[in-house]
Amino acid sequence: MGAIAAGIAAAGAAIGAGIGNGVVIGSTIEGTARQPELGGSLRGTMFLGVGLVEAMPIISIVIAFLVMNK
Amino acid sequence: MGGDAYTFKFLGLMFNWTNLISGLVIFVLVFCLLYGLSRKLQMKPKGAQNLMEWMIDFTNGIVRGQMPANEAPHYNFMAFVLFVFILIANEFGLIFQFGWGGHELLRSPTADPIITMTLALVIMTLTHFAGVARHGFVGYLKTYCTPYTAMLPINLFEEFSNFLTLGLRLFGNIYAGELLLKLLAQMAFSHGIPTMIVSLPLEVVWQGFSFFIGGVQAYVFVTLTTVYISSKVSTEE
Repeated sequence: MGAIAAGIAAAGAAIGAGIGNGVVIGSTIEGTARQPELGGSLRGTMFLGVGLVEAMPIISIVIAFLVMNK
Repeated sequence: MGGDAYTFKFLGLMFNWTNLISGLVIFVLVFCLLYGLSRKLQMKPKGAQNLMEWMIDFTNGIVRGQMPANEAPHYNFMAFVLFVFILIANEFGLIFQFGWGGHELLRSPTADPIITMTLALVIMTLTHFAGVARHGFVGYLKTYCTPYTAMLPINLFEEFSNFLTLGLRLFGNIYAGELLLKLLAQMAFSHGIPTMIVSLPLEVVWQGFSFFIGGVQAYVFVTLTTVYISSKVSTEE
């Protein structure tokens, strides 16, 4: 049962992180294409956004590791 | 590779040798690094002084980008020390993992939730202090009721969730990185040569990615610290 729970948690984390990061980085690419002179500033904000968005999926992965062997 | 945490009881409280030893090693490491980089100061910097000035300029830029201009210089130093400490603490566990007698002695201290939640608690207390210093005690309590009194539970919950996610974000990233390194190493030694050949490039790639994530998480922690302080300190005009 622990393995199934870990699998479901990891799947949720992967989908959430993938879609969330995709939206953030896609917006950054679009913004850089519109105004290339803001490229450096947008890149810094992108890393901040990725760090924030990935908080919940990472916690989900930690829970998956915790229940993996039960 | 390491073992489990090494706790001892003292005066009825649980303490953790792993955190104490790792933390101490990182304190000494950070001090030696910053001390060594700041010798022989000249007007035209070269070499080590250049590196130190670049790091300080980097964290000054983070603070300047978030805070109003008259408050920013107060928090430059804190942001710099926080950034260097969290960066070195995150990367430390990727290089040194030391266990002895079944107990874990050296690893990233930020891979322990106690350490990261303590850091987050210190930062949140600092934001409360900055808010009270700016608005006075009653004025600060009144800011929880802006713009309507009905926002009070939402503001309180936001305080609590900021604190929780600040600590757990750092813990989750570093702990998941180290745990996956351990799992890859277990996989490498499970079936002899073929698994070793497969998991060696995986381990190298994951170590590189964890290095990058350690840097990003230090940056995010310091930026969120300055954002929280500036939200308490700046008044809406």
